[in-house]
Amino acid sequence: MPGVAARYFDGRSAGRHDVDLVLDEVGGQLVFDGPTLADGPQHWPFARLRAQRDHARKGGLTLMLHAPTGDEAPRDPARLTLTDTGTIARLRRLCPDLDKRDLHPGTWGRIAKRGALAVAAVGLILFVILPRMADTLSDLIPIEREIAFGKAVTAQMEQALGAGRAGGLTCDDPDGQAALARMLDRLTAGRELQYDLQVVVFDHEMVNAFAAPGGQVVILRGLLDEASGADAVAAVLAHEIGHVERRDATRHALRAAGSAGVLSMVLGDVTGGAFAVFLGERLIQSSYSREAEAGADRFALEMLNAARVDSSGMAEFFDHIGEMEGTGLSLPEYLASHPPSADRAEAARRNADAQERTAPVLSAADWLALKAICD
Amino acid sequence: MATQTVAEPETTLDGQYDGERGALLRLAVVTALLTTVTLGIYRFWARTRIRRYIWSSISDGRDSFEYTGTGLEKFLGFLMAVVILAVYLGVVQMILFYFGLTLLGEPQTPEQAMLQSLAFSITFVAVLPLIFFAQYRVRRYKLARTRWRGIRFGAEKGAWGYAFRAIGHWLLTILSLGLLLPWQTWRLERYMTDRSWYGDAPFQQGGRWTALLPAMSHIYAGLCIMIGGGMVAGLLGQAESGGVVAVLGFVWLLVGVVVYRVRAFIYLTENKVLDGNIWFELRIRATPIVSTVFLGGLMVGLITVLIFGGLGAVVMFLLLPAVMLGEGAVFIAVVAVAGLYLLALAVSGSLVLVWILQPIIHQVVEAVTIRNADELDYIEQRGHDTGADAEGFADALDVGGAI
Repeated sequence: MPGVAARYFDGRSAGRHDVDLVLDEVGGQLVFDGPTLADGPQHWPFARLRAQRDHARKGGLTLMLHAPTGDEAPRDPARLTLTDTGTIARLRRLCPDLDKRDLHPGTWGRIAKRGALAVAAVGLILFVILPRMADTLSDLIPIEREIAFGKAVTAQMEQALGAGRAGGLTCDDPDGQAALARMLDRLTAGRELQYDLQVVVFDHEMVNAFAAPGGQVVILRGLLDEASGADAVAAVLAHEIGHVERRDATRHALRAAGSAGVLSMVLGDVTGGAFAVFLGERLIQSSYSREAEAGADRFALEMLNAARVDSSGMAEFFDHIGEMEGTGLSLPEYLASHPPSADRAEAARRNADAQERTAPVLSAADWLALKAICD
Repeated sequence: MATQTVAEPETTLDGQYDGERGALLRLAVVTALLTTVTLGIYRFWARTRIRRYIWSSISDGRDSFEYTGTGLEKFLGFLMAVVILAVYLGVVQMILFYFGLTLLGEPQTPEQAMLQSLAFSITFVAVLPLIFFAQYRVRRYKLARTRWRGIRFGAEKGAWGYAFRAIGHWLLTILSLGLLLPWQTWRLERYMTDRSWYGDAPFQQGGRWTALLPAMSHIYAGLCIMIGGGMVAGLLGQAESGGVVAVLGFVWLLVGVVVYRVRAFIYLTENKVLDGNIWFELRIRATPIVSTVFLGGLMVGLITVLIFGGLGAVVMFLLLPAVMLGEGAVFIAVVAVAGLYLLALAVSGSLVLVWILQPIIHQVVEAVTIRNADELDYIEQRGHDTGADAEGFADALDVGGAI
């Protein structure tokens, strides 16, 4: 048989067989035989021939047969390697399916089933189990520990905003602090609160306010600068007190701790993976912030009503934020995690229409003192 | 070929590596870009294709290794691991964080940092058994998907046994201040080797763990210099010179760890036996491999700096004129910059593979000699292994390494 030399492994033993190979183009098959082949000449039909992919060594071609095996891919274990360039070129012409990827039957069903199961499990843990556990655990945690944690969070926030030392950003003008205390008294008068509230102002131009665990509330100076009046600041403060009373920050931290691990696992730390984790976490946090925000808004309106503070200050504040949003000014933190400002302004306005007799939360002199708390 | 006496000719096979830097870099960059575009899903196929390339580069000059794993089975295994790990990790992490909170002491900023590191280390301990479990599964899966001369490699089940032993050995290593590291290295490698097969032929790990003790010499030297430097700084009050000595000791220690791993690998390989009558020689010294690690690392750092420096220059070049031209041009420029940024990330992420891992594999493979290779002809095929989770746990926990 005048053919080209090739190497054959029968897939049963590691013994090498040197074989002679011819292309039977009429019969549509490849025929090879060698002195060491016990079973006589082998016939491999062109239609079932498959080549190894991503092969590094140049000038060789390793062939195998498509076969319904139980292996990872439907391939027969036998291998045939040839190096003759002319024959390889002819084979490539004759066998269009040489680089075809075959799947076992039922593969798509398995992908769908496993995929659905994985999505369901991750969804269940992220959106059902972890939030429930966070609720339970945040109720179980001793209040003094929560306060300690909150103080640590506030200190770290201060550092992140650029304080050189602890308390470096805290505004301590005595008149301003007195005005702030009066505002707090007005809002909380006659109320049983779970926490001893600690309200501080940080000297930073961002328009924002935070509630940390354990009754710590932080207002940034930018919010005082941009607010239309003391009533607006009182509305924001009431909103943050709402977060404090609902233990949102603690729950948030617990839930973030649980979901961070799960997310980084699912998305993997490949190129761009770290970014995807950040994005995913951001999405989840803002989504559960939204329900928390709505609750805190309700709490704030109720608190303003009880303290007889006009909630149109709140409406004005949200209108103002909506405008800044419209003109493209950057307000990253506050906007990303809060419901659309227009809806919230509308709710505050409706509430204001229904309010009976109101009085300003601070005198004009006190408001000026509060605005100057960082000077 | 015959290396021994004329009366008893022995066949040997010498390893050959045919992978090229350019081809592998192209493959790694293309698959990394596809991974980014598919939000990470393609990473299973990416790793599979890179393995196929590297495995097919390894040969005895005639017959290449073959990697037969598929990206699809890795993806399916990952989905399975996610179901189990999502529940485990989410719940465990939150409970540990809760206890981290309740254990928090006085409210001060350093406490916050301590809390975080504490909570982190406890979480790490919680996944530790799973990491060792996954490591064994990786070895088993890789062997099950490796073929040479048409015959499958394979490993027996035993991931939990491995995890159990690995934890015990690590505890001993830590308690003995690292003195028992060679014992750990040898015992764990023996556990894996004695469960590995080529076809119907078993591998066996020979040798003694005490033979690995000299390989630790540079680790001891580094430690001594480091501690000595600290003592000088503390006792004589010469903080500066003591600090310099301590840094020198630390670098020495790092080099020492690499030297140890290379020497241990050489010893363990040369003391493996296949089917009771096939041996391996590894004619290589630690120095060239260690210098490949450090020079390659230097090269990777240098190229990364060049790539991102170039990217910065391009950004200036594209964005500044675009701002003059108007909004449409800015949009196009931003898209172009984003594309270039992803390309730069993909290239820099592939550098370790191309500049460090492949050169090491190249040197090691070319230094291998299989002795008494005639006996290979009598090895028979072994059955298919489902591969269990196909490394799903390792992928989910990110412990698989680059290949």
